[in-house]
Amino acid sequence: MIDIYTEKKDSRDWILQNDLYFNLYTSNEEMSQNEIDLIKQVDEARLTPDKHIETKYGLGTIRNLSSGCKTLLNIVKHPDKVVCVEECGPNVLKIIFTMDNIKIYMSRPTLTDIPDGAKIRFNDSDIVTGSKGYHTWWGKEYERREADDL
Amino acid sequence: MIYENITFTADPFSYDLVFDDRITLVGGDSGTGKTVLYEMLEDLRLIDEYRSIRLFNYKSDNFLQSIKKCRDSFIVIDNADILINEEVKRFINFEFSNQYMLFLRNCDGLNVSDESFKVLKSDNNRVTLEEEL
Repeated sequence: MIDIYTEKKDSRDWILQNDLYFNLYTSNEEMSQNEIDLIKQVDEARLTPDKHIETKYGLGTIRNLSSGCKTLLNIVKHPDKVVCVEECGPNVLKIIFTMDNIKIYMSRPTLTDIPDGAKIRFNDSDIVTGSKGYHTWWGKEYERREADDL
Repeated sequence: MIYENITFTADPFSYDLVFDDRITLVGGDSGTGKTVLYEMLEDLRLIDEYRSIRLFNYKSDNFLQSIKKCRDSFIVIDNADILINEEVKRFINFEFSNQYMLFLRNCDGLNVSDESFKVLKSDNNRVTLEEEL
């Protein structure tokens, strides 16, 4: 199940500033082979055991990863947190929607491919399946926002 | 327009950025070099030709107050999706003396045109802004 929250909340259980959270916390955690592979997939970066990265832009540290890649790693490393995905590009969102048991915040829909079998729960309430269910929910949400003059 | 183009070399890359609108939104995939460009502009703004560049990201102090003081500036905002609120959008829409390059995906509430939407492309180490399809 992917939990999506559409209203922003200021809480210690939410990660809204992904760069900051990653630089201070997630980057200091051990990276698994799966996470190293995700870094390669998103940023085309090779992570060395001492947390340096090699990309086409040069050498750096793990803190030089893209905001989208940092967001993805925040989600993977902290599945208990609600993570803001507003800064993620389509390449990262596509990966996020293949994942399970994660919590994300997005205030508007994405056109990214969503697997047909993906189970999605909006705001701890409405459960939908796949791309069709996702876009149908957002259609109703925009009708609601229009009616509420939001 | 403050700058119709920004051109510089940062070996092995050469940047040739052309702007078609007062507001440019740079989107596209993650990992395409937006923050790398931002960091290059931090140096570039220190030379006379590009002294109108003003830079903001999530590390900026007093973002709202600082941006509202900008006039006749080329304003670049990284992490714009988490920084920009309705008040900043109003400032961007109505402070016509400035030009804006926003690393932003959500254009709701901004007075943008079809020519505003760009992505960074790198071809043989030449980096350009191309129309986002």
